[in-house]
Amino acid sequence: MSATSILSSLSKINEKYQMFRTITSDTEVGEAKFLFSAKDNLTSKDMETCSGSKILEGYRPPFDATSIARMREAGGMLVGKTNMDEFGFGTFSTNSAFGVPRNPYGPERSCGGSSGGAACAAAVMEGHVAIGVSTGGSICCPASFCGVYGMVPTYGRVSRYGLLDYGNSLDKIGIISAKASDLGKYIGIMAGSDPKDPTSCMQPDMGARRKLKSVAVPKDATEGVSEDVRTAFINGLETLKSMGVDVATVEMPSLKYAIPAYYVIATSEASTNLARYCGMRYGHQEGDLSLKFDDYFTSFRSQYFGQEAKRRILLGTFTRMVGFRDRYYSKARMVRQSIIEEYRSVLGECDAVLTPTMPFVSPKFSDISKMTPLESYKADILTGPPNIAGMPHASVPCGYDRDGMPIGMQFVADQWDEGVLFSAAEEWEKNFESVRPEVSI
Amino acid sequence: MKIGLEVHVQLPTKSKLFCPCPTTDAPAPNTHVCPVCLGFPGARPMMNGKAIEYGILLAKMLGCTVRDTTWFARKIYFYPDNVKNFQITQYDRPLGEKGMYYLNGKKPIRITRIHIEEDPGKIKRVGDLSSLIDYNRSGIPLAEIVTEPDLSTPAEAREFLGQLIRDIRHTIDIPDDGERSIRCDCNISVGIERCEVKNVTGLKNVERALTYELVRQTKLLKAGGKVVRETRRFDEERGVTISVRKKELEADYGYIDEPDLGIFNVKELAERLKIKESPQNMTLRISKEYGIDERTAKQFVSTSVELAHLFEELAAATDAETARMWTSGAVSAGWKAFEARGGGDTAEVISLVGKFRAGEITDTECNIRIRAFLTGTDTDEVRSGSSDLDSMIGEYLDVNPSVIEDYRKNEKAANRVIGHVMKQTGGACSSADIVDATKRLIEERL
Repeated sequence: MSATSILSSLSKINEKYQMFRTITSDTEVGEAKFLFSAKDNLTSKDMETCSGSKILEGYRPPFDATSIARMREAGGMLVGKTNMDEFGFGTFSTNSAFGVPRNPYGPERSCGGSSGGAACAAAVMEGHVAIGVSTGGSICCPASFCGVYGMVPTYGRVSRYGLLDYGNSLDKIGIISAKASDLGKYIGIMAGSDPKDPTSCMQPDMGARRKLKSVAVPKDATEGVSEDVRTAFINGLETLKSMGVDVATVEMPSLKYAIPAYYVIATSEASTNLARYCGMRYGHQEGDLSLKFDDYFTSFRSQYFGQEAKRRILLGTFTRMVGFRDRYYSKARMVRQSIIEEYRSVLGECDAVLTPTMPFVSPKFSDISKMTPLESYKADILTGPPNIAGMPHASVPCGYDRDGMPIGMQFVADQWDEGVLFSAAEEWEKNFESVRPEVSI
Repeated sequence: MKIGLEVHVQLPTKSKLFCPCPTTDAPAPNTHVCPVCLGFPGARPMMNGKAIEYGILLAKMLGCTVRDTTWFARKIYFYPDNVKNFQITQYDRPLGEKGMYYLNGKKPIRITRIHIEEDPGKIKRVGDLSSLIDYNRSGIPLAEIVTEPDLSTPAEAREFLGQLIRDIRHTIDIPDDGERSIRCDCNISVGIERCEVKNVTGLKNVERALTYELVRQTKLLKAGGKVVRETRRFDEERGVTISVRKKELEADYGYIDEPDLGIFNVKELAERLKIKESPQNMTLRISKEYGIDERTAKQFVSTSVELAHLFEELAAATDAETARMWTSGAVSAGWKAFEARGGGDTAEVISLVGKFRAGEITDTECNIRIRAFLTGTDTDEVRSGSSDLDSMIGEYLDVNPSVIEDYRKNEKAANRVIGHVMKQTGGACSSADIVDATKRLIEERL
């Protein structure tokens, strides 16, 4: 199917799957070399950017995010902004103010989050490249739920200029695609230092491509994961062995502290990032302007932030207050350091750490609505560790359950060593028979 | 009474702290702004390295410890002039800590810390229901200097601030109107509880605000009342302070590290940066090192740092006493004229004093030649004008030796001589020449 006809049928398919928040009105591809989408928390000059939040409805940023600008410079055409959990707050993309994306393998199920729309677009649109953002697992989780490849580079590899921040010290921009070779190709385009983002400035070259020779599997990697996921993962290990990869079991005891530490750091930072949304400078501005400024801010924020955003603002404000800062925020930073050290020591011995990506296949919306916040936070147990450590990681599809729902596994490499992940994903693709969803354009 | 100050100094960078917007006066409100200093979602701070350099220079000037690494923090509070509703400042690792600064070279004032932060915008109230906000100031780099409550009186606080501003101006070249770009939060307690008067501008106002508080708090306590811990503001027109908000405890700003800027390793930069000696320190050092009294040293330094340098060169070429005598005499006398002509190489002066000391020329001749060199006039002209004058003064001093003794106690004693010579010459000599010659000849006899 040609790129032009993809564009013309996009609106129709989007009505069913709701993976886009905004779609370009152009149906002409023109000179574009490839079509790409960007998560709705990356600023784009010509399209509304809302980060899945009502508070930013109608906001049109005056500048392009560096990642989007670089994709455009390379000849890409931005076809739309993908739907997401409000400000990235969620594991199932059910917290968006603008509808819920539906899983292409079963529309009663979640696409994963928070880059759910991006993974869905990558799964249903032929040859599509989706820019996603990961803070605690927001690329690998939806990639795994939607049966596609997703990769998060090292923290700082891709400039965050133009990213509406969730947790600045954790946010990473990456790629989701049905094709493994797209990961290296497009991350390569977006990567590189950018004077507009100081955390992207000092970085080594992209790690040389080298063949994956060995992986380490943490002893408790499959603890608490569903039977289907365990089976698919074990089969995946067998396939790897047949590809000539050494598999070793290792102890990584500190990984289990990643989730609590992640939620403390991420929400502490998020609560400060969201302070600027007060109905004064961008997005919505309405309400009783004769109120005292703090009363106006309060009433506006109460009305336009979603439930989960408010929960995380409160949690993050609490963890950084005097008396609690040492107990939570400062301690979380120490935990983060020990996780980095643990990865470093394991990755000194082998090329990558391997685990399943998610502990279960994509749940049905009816089941998600019954989950407590804590239960859904726990779903990030395997994606949290590499994210808090800033390590590059990739999710690849590794099997399907009896309902045909995809299952993923996740490789984690050392910082700045993306090269080994690119070749691992590409080699894996040759050895794994993926099943595309029935809907596709 | 205890007084502590928090002094905000605008750093003289060309662009703002975190973006390339200019810091110069803007043609209209909200014209020197960009996505970064307006806090747009997705825009992020880029550090202005020059601001760090200025900060380190000030930290050194204040005798602070500069640690190898420094970082920034977010201070979260909601206010319309605060674009992101958090301010990027420094919290647990400021640029400098635990400094010591001597008021008049004597009284130690402990410096708690010095850190860098961004200025918020400016609010202009128009009527009861609305305000206008100008964000041109948003992101202007400030250094905040915090002192311990070591100042004892409003006058002393003013003196401290004056000296501090002079030294800052000398160290980082802030413009002459520097006093305007300096704002001060004044903390004062007469009894136990303290009040903070926010944002006072200018030396005079600091003294006025503190004096008002001193009287207010003293009266309150005498009447059996209690001073409440609160923030006040100073009304310049009425000269009074007004309560703005009460605070039981320090507000909790929920500080976290600024994740967009990272950690700055400033070790090498701090080692490389050398501060110019402050006028205050130079005065003390010269006085101590060369055994001359502080007043004379201060006179040299305050006339010009170059003059003080010349004194040191003379002392090195000859000896401290010869250098002192000639510097306060002929050199000081001709210095203004020398500077007016653009200053320049002073090797000639050193050579002349050297010749005098070696006995090659007389003091009168040396004096004439130094004056001629500095003022750029012909030696003969100086000679004809000064020899009569010199002998006239000399004669008077011979007859009235008590003038010398009196002069030691009070320099005004020279006025007797000057008055006498003025009468004698009847306007033939310029009064400046008479004053210079008198001082020089008295100094020679001291």
